[in-house]
Amino acid sequence: MTTPNTISHDLLGAIGGVPRPEGDVVVDARDVNKFFGRLHVLKDVCLQVKRQETVVIIGPSGSGKTTFIRCVNHLEKIQSGRIFVNGHLIGYREAGGGKKLVEDKEKNIARQRQEIGMVFQRFNLFPHMTALENIIEAPIQVRGVDRDEAIAMGRALLDRVGLAAKEKVYPNQLSGGQQQRIAIARALAMKPALMLFDEPTSALDPEMIGEVLEVMKELAREGMTMIVVSHEMGFAREVANRVVMMDEGVVVEEGTPNQVFSAPTQERTKAFLSKIL
Amino acid sequence: MADSIRAFGTRRAMLAGCLLFLLFSLSACADQTKGAPYHWQWDISFTSIFQPNGSIINGLWLTIGISIVAQLLGVGLGILAALGRMSRIWPFKIVANFYIWFFRGTPLIVQLTFLFYGLLISKIIDWPIVSIGPFIIAKEVFAGTLILGINEGAYMAEIVRAGILAVDPGQTEASKSLGMRYRQTMSRIVLPQAARVILPPLGNEFNNMIKNTSLLYVLSVFELYTTFESRATNSFHYFEYFVACCFWYLLLTTVWAFVQGWLERRFSRGTMPTADIGGPSLRERMLSFRSPSGGALGGH
Repeated sequence: MTTPNTISHDLLGAIGGVPRPEGDVVVDARDVNKFFGRLHVLKDVCLQVKRQETVVIIGPSGSGKTTFIRCVNHLEKIQSGRIFVNGHLIGYREAGGGKKLVEDKEKNIARQRQEIGMVFQRFNLFPHMTALENIIEAPIQVRGVDRDEAIAMGRALLDRVGLAAKEKVYPNQLSGGQQQRIAIARALAMKPALMLFDEPTSALDPEMIGEVLEVMKELAREGMTMIVVSHEMGFAREVANRVVMMDEGVVVEEGTPNQVFSAPTQERTKAFLSKIL
Repeated sequence: MADSIRAFGTRRAMLAGCLLFLLFSLSACADQTKGAPYHWQWDISFTSIFQPNGSIINGLWLTIGISIVAQLLGVGLGILAALGRMSRIWPFKIVANFYIWFFRGTPLIVQLTFLFYGLLISKIIDWPIVSIGPFIIAKEVFAGTLILGINEGAYMAEIVRAGILAVDPGQTEASKSLGMRYRQTMSRIVLPQAARVILPPLGNEFNNMIKNTSLLYVLSVFELYTTFESRATNSFHYFEYFVACCFWYLLLTTVWAFVQGWLERRFSRGTMPTADIGGPSLRERMLSFRSPSGGALGGH
C-alpha cells in the first residue's frame, strides 16, 4: 500500500508549472443568492480568492458551503449576484444593460469549466475507464491534446500522486484514498487555474484521509489557487491562507486560521468550533 | 465443470426425445382421424434443415440482414428519442413523445401496411429501390426494414432512457466539470455506462426483432417465414415445412443468446472485478446450470 511518504513533490511540474491567470483575483463572488424552491440557501454571499491562495470553507452541514462551490463552476444556477473567475462572469451573460442575468450558452459554460478543476466527495471517477484513461480523457476530448502527449502527462501525474503502478487498474479495484488521488490528478490534467474541493475526505475511511490531504497540501504549497470545503480543521490550520465560516447561507466570519480558530468573533463560529474541535 | 456439461447434454437429449415423442404421437393421432390418412413426408423437414435450397438460404440471409439493420436503426432512433424525451427543449420533447406514443400504440402489422401501401399508393412516398454495392434492395425490403427499425426505436427509447437514468448523476457532473460538452458527456461517459443496463433488454428486443421480420409477409418479402409459407401452401405440407421453419428461427435466436452473453461481458468493463482476474469463461457460464455465477445466463 502506498503511504503518503511516497508522494513525490512537484505536482504542478507534471502539468508544466503553475497556471498563470491574468490579474490577482481569481475568484470574485458578489452578492450571490441561490434558492432551492423556496429555500434560500445562499444569502448575499461575497468571497474573493486571490491567486495562489487556499481558502477553506467550514461550517455546519446545510450551511450552503458545498452549494457555493458548486455555483463557482455553474453546476448550480444562481438567482442573483455575480461570480467571476479570472475576470469572466461564470454561467451567465448580462442582458438589459447589466440588470438581468441570462444563462450562457452550453459551449461557453463548458469552456469556462476547463479552467476550473473540481474534486468531489464521492470521487466520481469514470468506472468504465482505467486510472490512466480517466486522467487523459478530458485533455484529449476537450483540449485536443495529442494522445501520446496526454499519456505522458497522465503517467507523470499518476507518479506524483504515488499511483504510478495503478495505471491500468479500474476504479472499483482501488481504495477510496487512491480513487480520490486519481480524481485530483484527473482535474489537474486540464491545467486548471483554480481547484475546487467539495469535502474531498468526507467519504474516506480514516486511515486514507492522510494520503489525500498530503496531495492537497503539496498542491497548495506549489501555488495552486484552491477553495476547499472541509471538516479537516487540522488541514485548514496548516494550509489555509484564509478560513471562511458559513452558516445558514451566510458568510459569518472570515480570517486567517489563527483568527478564526483561536479568536473567533462571532457566537455562531464559537458554537460550531466548540462542537467540532 | 465436466459434471454440469454432462448434465446439460443429458437434459438436451431428454428434451429432444420428448419433442420427438410428441411429434410422433401427434402424427399417430392424425392417422386415426376420419377420412383419408395424411401422408407424412418427413424428407421435406429433413432437406429443409440439412440441405436447404437457394430460396431458404436467401430467406435466411434476408431475415438476418433485415433484423440487424432494423435493430441498429432502432437503437439509433431509440437513443435520439430517449435524449429527446429527457431534453429541456420542448419541441424535442413533443416530437419524441409523439413518436413513442404512435409507434408503441399501433400494431406493427398496421404500421407496415399503412406506411408501405398507404404512402405508396397515395403517392406520398415513392419507396425507392436502393442498390448498395452488389446488392439491389427491393422497395418492399427497404421500406419494411425502415418501418421495423422505426417501430423498434420507440421501444428502445424507453430502454435507453432507463439505462441513462441508471447512471449516477455524479458521472455527468464530473464530466461537465472537466469542460466536456453535452455530446461528449453522453457519448463518452453516460452511454457506455448505460449500455450495461441496456444490453439485457436489448437482447430481448433483438430476439423479438428476428421473429417480427416474419411480418414482412404482408409486404411479400421472401424472408424465412414467407419462403416456408409459400412452399407449404403449394404442397399442403404445412407441418413438415414449419418444423424446419421453427428450426431456423431457433437457430438464429440461440446464436444470438450467445452473442448477447459476450456483449454483456464486454460492456461490464470496470464493474466486475472478476472480469480482469479470471472468473468463469463465457463458455462455462453459458453451459453451466449450477454454478452460481452462471445462474442468470444458464437459464437459456
